[in-house]
Amino acid sequence: MISIAQAAVSAGEHAQSSGGLPQFDASTFSSQIFWTVVSFAVLLYLLKNYVIPPINDILDARGKEIAEDLEKAKKAREDSESTLAKYRQELAAARQEASRILDQARAESNRLTEAAKIDLEQDLAKRKSAALEEIEQAKRTAMNEIKSSAVEVAMEAAEKLIGKSVTKTDANKMVEQAIADLEKDQMRAFH
Amino acid sequence: MIQMIATAMAAETAYAAGAAPKMDPLHHFQVVKYVPLELFGYDISISNSVVWMWIAVAAVMTFFHYGLRDKGRVPGRMQSLAESGLLFVRGVVKEIVGAEGARFFPLIFTLFFFVLFCNLVGLIPGSFTATSQLVVTGTLAGAIFIFCTLLGFYKHGAHYLKFFVPSGLPVALLPLMVPIEIISYLARPVSLSVRLFANMTAGHTVLAVLFFFTATLPWFGAWLPFGFSVVFTAVEIFIGFIQAYIFTILTCVYLNDALHMH
Repeated sequence: MISIAQAAVSAGEHAQSSGGLPQFDASTFSSQIFWTVVSFAVLLYLLKNYVIPPINDILDARGKEIAEDLEKAKKAREDSESTLAKYRQELAAARQEASRILDQARAESNRLTEAAKIDLEQDLAKRKSAALEEIEQAKRTAMNEIKSSAVEVAMEAAEKLIGKSVTKTDANKMVEQAIADLEKDQMRAFH
Repeated sequence: MIQMIATAMAAETAYAAGAAPKMDPLHHFQVVKYVPLELFGYDISISNSVVWMWIAVAAVMTFFHYGLRDKGRVPGRMQSLAESGLLFVRGVVKEIVGAEGARFFPLIFTLFFFVLFCNLVGLIPGSFTATSQLVVTGTLAGAIFIFCTLLGFYKHGAHYLKFFVPSGLPVALLPLMVPIEIISYLARPVSLSVRLFANMTAGHTVLAVLFFFTATLPWFGAWLPFGFSVVFTAVEIFIGFIQAYIFTILTCVYLNDALHMH
C-alpha cells in the first residue's frame, strides 16, 4: 500500500514537472483505451443480459395489466349502463303499473261508493216501509182492541138498558153498524 | 472492489500529504498506475482511472441490483428509478432514431449509464473522474464514430457517400459544400469527446481551485470559496447528468444519420 502511494507521489511530481494537462500524457493512453473498451463491454454484457430484460418484463407486464384493467373498466361501464337502462325501463313500467292500479282503485272506490249509496237508499226505503207496516199493524191492533172493548162495553150497556143479554154476534153487528155510521158521519163531516 | 477504493483513496491522501501547500488544480486528473500490466507489448496497467471506471460499472450494477431486488407490479422507489432510467433512454432512442433504434438500445443504454456514473462517482472526494480523460471519451466517441460509419456503409453501401452531398444544391456550390460536409462529419468524434472531457475537466478544476482557497485562506475568507464549492458541487452533479444526456443524444443522432441518412 505504501509503495503504491509513493509511486503515486512520484508520478504526480513527474507530471507536474513536465507541465500541461495530465490528460495529454500519452504513456497512459493504451491502458485507458484498453480498459475503457473492456469496462464498457462488461457493462454492456451485464446490462443487456441481467438488467434490460427484467425491466422490460416488468414494464410489459404492467402495460398488459393496465390494458386489461382498462378493458375490464370499459366492460363494467357497459354493464352498468345496460343495468341502468334496464332499471329505467323497469321503473317506467312500474310507474305505468302504479298509475294503472291507481286508476283501477279510483274506479273501484267510485263503484263501491255508488253501490253503498244505492244499498243505503234501498235499506232506508225498506226500513221505512217496514216501519210504516208496523205502524199500520199497531193501528189495526189498537183498532181491533178498541172495537172489542167497545163491543163488551156496548153489551154490558145494552144488558143494563134492555135487561136482556145480547149475544156476542149481535153485539158485533151492532158495533160494526155503529162504527160504520160513525165513519159515515166522519166522512160527511170531512166533505 | 472495496480494497481498490481504499487503495485509490490512500494514494490520493498520501499525495496530498506530501504536496506543499501550493495550488495544483490539475492534480485530480493525474493518472496513477497501481498495477503495471502488459499485453502484447502494450501497456494495460491498472491505474486510478481504470479502477474508478470499474467502480462506475459496479455502481451502475448496484443501482440496478437494488432497483430489481424486490421487483413487483407496484414499483418501490429504487425500482421506479431503475425503470425511469430505462424509459428515459428508450424515449431518447425512440424519438431520435425511431423504431429501428430498438436493436441498438442496449448499446445506447450502456453508454448513458457508463458516462453518467463515471461523471457522478468522479464527484466523490478523493475519487477519479474517468470521463475527464480525453483518451477515455475519445475511445468512446471514436468507437461510436467507427460503428456508425460502418453501419452506414453496411446499410446503404456506396450510397452512404451521398451523405456528403447535400441535396437540392446548385452544382457550382458542391466543390465548396462537400469538403465542409466531410470535415463536419470527421469533426463529430472530436467534438463529442472534447465536449465531455472539457466539461469534466473544467468543472473539477474550478472545484479544485475553490477547495484550495477554502483550505489555505484564513477563516474569515475561507467561507466564500467554501460556499461556492458547495453550490458548484451541485452544479457539477447537474452537469454530470446533462453531459451524459448530450453524449447519448448525439450518439443517437449519429446512429440515425447512419440508418436513415438525414
